[in-house]
Amino acid sequence: MSREPAALLDRRLLVVTGKGGTGKSTVSAALALAASKRGKRVLVCEVTARERVSELFGRPESGTQIRELSRGVYSVHVRPPEAMREYALMTLRYETLYNLVFQNKVVRYFLNAAPSLAEIVMLGKVWWHAAREMERGRPRWDLVVLDAPATGHGLTLLTVPDVFLGIVSEGPLARDMRDMQALLKDPTRCRTCVVTLPEEMPANEAIEMHRALDSHGLPQGALFLNGVFAPRFSGQERTQVARGGPLLAAAADAADAHEARADLSVRYEQLLRKEIALPVVPIPYLFDRSFGVGSVEKVARAIEVAL
Amino acid sequence: MRRPDERAYGPGPALDEVLARRKVVCCVGSGGVGKTTTAAALALRAAMAGKRALVLTIDPARRLANSLGLKALGNRETRIDESLFRSAGLRPRGEMYAMMLDLKLTWDELVQRQAPSPDRARQILENRLYQKLSTAMAGSLEYMAMEKVSELHSSGRFDVVVLDTPPTANALDFLRAPDRILDVVDNDAMRILLGPMLKASRIGLKFFALPTGLVLRTLAKFTGQDFLRDLAYFLIAFEGMYGGFKERAAQVKRLLSGPDAAFVLVTGPNPLTIEEALFFHRALQADGISTAAIVVNRVQRDPHRFSGPDSTPALREALQLAQIADGGDPPLSQRLSRTLAEQATLADLDRRQVEELSRTLAGVPLFVVPRLRRDVHDLGGLWQIDECLSAAEE
Repeated sequence: MSREPAALLDRRLLVVTGKGGTGKSTVSAALALAASKRGKRVLVCEVTARERVSELFGRPESGTQIRELSRGVYSVHVRPPEAMREYALMTLRYETLYNLVFQNKVVRYFLNAAPSLAEIVMLGKVWWHAAREMERGRPRWDLVVLDAPATGHGLTLLTVPDVFLGIVSEGPLARDMRDMQALLKDPTRCRTCVVTLPEEMPANEAIEMHRALDSHGLPQGALFLNGVFAPRFSGQERTQVARGGPLLAAAADAADAHEARADLSVRYEQLLRKEIALPVVPIPYLFDRSFGVGSVEKVARAIEVAL
Repeated sequence: MRRPDERAYGPGPALDEVLARRKVVCCVGSGGVGKTTTAAALALRAAMAGKRALVLTIDPARRLANSLGLKALGNRETRIDESLFRSAGLRPRGEMYAMMLDLKLTWDELVQRQAPSPDRARQILENRLYQKLSTAMAGSLEYMAMEKVSELHSSGRFDVVVLDTPPTANALDFLRAPDRILDVVDNDAMRILLGPMLKASRIGLKFFALPTGLVLRTLAKFTGQDFLRDLAYFLIAFEGMYGGFKERAAQVKRLLSGPDAAFVLVTGPNPLTIEEALFFHRALQADGISTAAIVVNRVQRDPHRFSGPDSTPALREALQLAQIADGGDPPLSQRLSRTLAEQATLADLDRRQVEELSRTLAGVPLFVVPRLRRDVHDLGGLWQIDECLSAAEE
């Protein structure tokens, strides 16, 4: 009996990464919105310095408290100090022991100094929501969307279990790390999606990210190509308008600027399709003066086909 | 009334004046704003003016290699070939070099330089924790970038070193990375904590003393015994070298906050990257470092700097007058009108952003680079950017 491959939104965890400024948060928000429209309860975890998703939904910042942004869409800002405390308490179980150990001046110093500890606890919290958190006998979240940091740091975050397990192989943290690693590498439960733009550097970086994810055994979903300009004028039209004199000078310049970006869109979409064996999902450029829930809805509609 | 795009080039200083006499130039900003391209353009500018200029990039995505039309960059400096200049129609009076930072190698070299003996260096290089720390740990890249810049600077081989900083999640990460990493090797607190282990190993016991005390036992529960043991070994290996490392880090800090160094803030015209640029600016200020210049890349130009109407009926007439068929679906006039409106919107949004930025950072020279019609991937493209850096905005 063959079954249709599960839809992207049917995973437990979707990780969204990509070069800075490509629109990771907007795509994360759109994925969450699309999932909520299918009746899912979705949690967006933001791990970068500043929250974006709550703002896109026109809501106040969620902070470290989970808040509902729209029907079925929730968000939380994962910050290292709070995540560390939550995680330590979860493992130690007793507040007094936590206070004794983690409030110890010397230990605090150690925790601040240990590199990657921030990444470990942040990923730990995301994993907890995606794989462990239960409510009335079923998982509390149908889907967790991780709005991950930009490419390089995103990869650091996703490979933290590999790195950690290379150093530490025993103890509760190592056990949890193995579980995290298993989740991130299980294609039926988790997919990582890269967001990119139709420009040389972002496109090349997306290709490299795709290969790096592959080599780390991290299964991928779709590649989102954001800010696409569709060709609008024929070559003949442009030549004619360009020669049309002063009355058409501004129009000729606008058409030129548009087609320059459309050319790039076509070229990099082709390149990405050639280099990456994943669905490439174009998202049209939005001329919105400010990004709000309306923009997120447009993006959600644009990517619906791939979900 | 002045058209939005026609900002007159005022009496602002040229970037060359701003950066003259600086020996280290750090390009900082969030990811995706054209930092690498700007860094390469600044190095090219210096080389054209007769300097021996090096651009150091740290990005694993090999972006600089792309923008210089180079196939690959090693950890050693590569001189940009004469023929590349020639094919771009450029005649440099100086020399341009490019280098891509090899993270592991830079760490290893640093350890070899600081270790009191080759044996000790080998001990460290072979330590499991060191191997992980040096390549995979967050903050490592930022620290080594600064270390390499300082080394290149003191080598005296270049008149100016331009650093393309890593795409750090935020400014604080970048500025604090050296402290964060140094704390790992220079940490009295950890030494107190791991004291029993250190003692046990120093007197040559075959086994490590079990972590004593509740604190150490609890920590071990989190990290495992092995980790604490590796850490103890690591600390033993580094013993006596803290001083050297600390002095080195202090040197780097002195260089970066001194008169030889300049920080150039690179940003794009969208609100998110500008917000991050301002955050960077304030973080630098808090560290006693001033921003030498701001470069705003990819600013959309307003089509209305040229003449002509923008409504569909008026465009229909203009097409008729020029004897151009208003064909297609939707008709050409309508598509042109829509495109004009879209492009003008983009230009207007960008203009507002640049204005606000220059108001907020009044007194810091600001340079605007318009969005170019094609990607920059050769010296000719970089020079186009350099021409925009000739004069600051009014």
